[in-house]
Amino acid sequence: MSVLDPIYDRAKANPQKVAFPEAANEKMMQAAYEAAKDGYIKAVLVGNAEELKALAAERGYDASVFEFVDINDEAYTAKLVADYIASPETSLKKEKGLRRRIADPLYYAMAMQAVGAADVTFAGIDNTTGDVINAGMVMIGIKPNISTPSSIGLCYIPNWTGGENGLLAIGDSAVCTNPNPEQLADIAISACDTVRDLLQWEPRCAMVCYSTLGSGSGDLIDKVLEALKIAQEKRPDLAIDGEFQFDAAVKPEVAAKKVKRESKVAGKANVVIWPDLNVGNIGVKLIQTFGHADAYGPMLQGFNKIVCDCSRGAPVSEIKGNIIISAVRAAAMKG
Amino acid sequence: MDRKELEAKIIELVTISYKKAPGEVTLETSFKNDLGGASVQMVALVSEIENELDAMVALQDAAACETVADLVDAVENEL
Repeated sequence: MSVLDPIYDRAKANPQKVAFPEAANEKMMQAAYEAAKDGYIKAVLVGNAEELKALAAERGYDASVFEFVDINDEAYTAKLVADYIASPETSLKKEKGLRRRIADPLYYAMAMQAVGAADVTFAGIDNTTGDVINAGMVMIGIKPNISTPSSIGLCYIPNWTGGENGLLAIGDSAVCTNPNPEQLADIAISACDTVRDLLQWEPRCAMVCYSTLGSGSGDLIDKVLEALKIAQEKRPDLAIDGEFQFDAAVKPEVAAKKVKRESKVAGKANVVIWPDLNVGNIGVKLIQTFGHADAYGPMLQGFNKIVCDCSRGAPVSEIKGNIIISAVRAAAMKG
Repeated sequence: MDRKELEAKIIELVTISYKKAPGEVTLETSFKNDLGGASVQMVALVSEIENELDAMVALQDAAACETVADLVDAVENEL
């Protein structure tokens, strides 16, 4: 049984509408087709409908698996523009400017998502991560009280019983380069919400650096301490604790020696927040290389709705998995 | 709209988007050093420029501006 099986089951029980603005791409169309045909999602292909239908036929797909939305359909677009401008959650309020943006299928799909015509927008195979994040910030927006978009990855570490049965969520290893204390706090908060929505965990979130409870000192630690204070004040409902070294965060025997106070997190963290992207990038590669971990993600977080990006080099199976993960997150976010 | 009017309008929009007091923002104001460089406010600012001036400045181009004067240049190019 795969660690993703429970997520796949939840997707199938409540298939979400996923908009694909890059469906002309062969790998993306195949992943969308397989995910929809297997009943995990409802796939909405956004772009030039005639071209997409021809490509689907050429590739041997049953077109009835897809819904097609033509960005040149004036009646559909006029309603989309009106609904988007009327929505209290959107910031672009002028028709001319909005139409200029949604000439790009990525922005069109996100406008659909913003007004509820789709639950998720899935892209990133033709557009860069930066393109997807920028489009998400403009069209979908960042959650109130969250200062930055960010990401988490999910690592399954074979033969490790820590974290959450061998699974560890880590962030941010992909998006926010050098977060300030407020941003670092928001990465931790978003990460807790993401694992709660996606995995139904009770998050135990450790903010890590090279010091455990004052064993070291300096600017790098002060940033983590300030972030921890902000996170705890903003979300007292969450178990976010630190500052811990990585081993004190995830190894009970080390926590027992180094953490001489009550902690719901020390030694048993299932979410680890790095202090910056240097640590995050190196950390995930260490876990993959020496821990032989399977890594899933990055999953973008902090947006008003689920915004998804996939690696341009990803194989179809990985893209399909990320599509299904994003659909489950969207369903959970809707409540 | 001439350059002076555009400068005044951009200063007004920056002041609103970054929730600053009137008079606090000038052409020399640095996004990074004086305004904190937060990306959320930059998104709001880009949307406001589009709504008010009908000029589409890409988010990454706006984020690359060091000062308010640089942003005025970027908007002027789009008008």
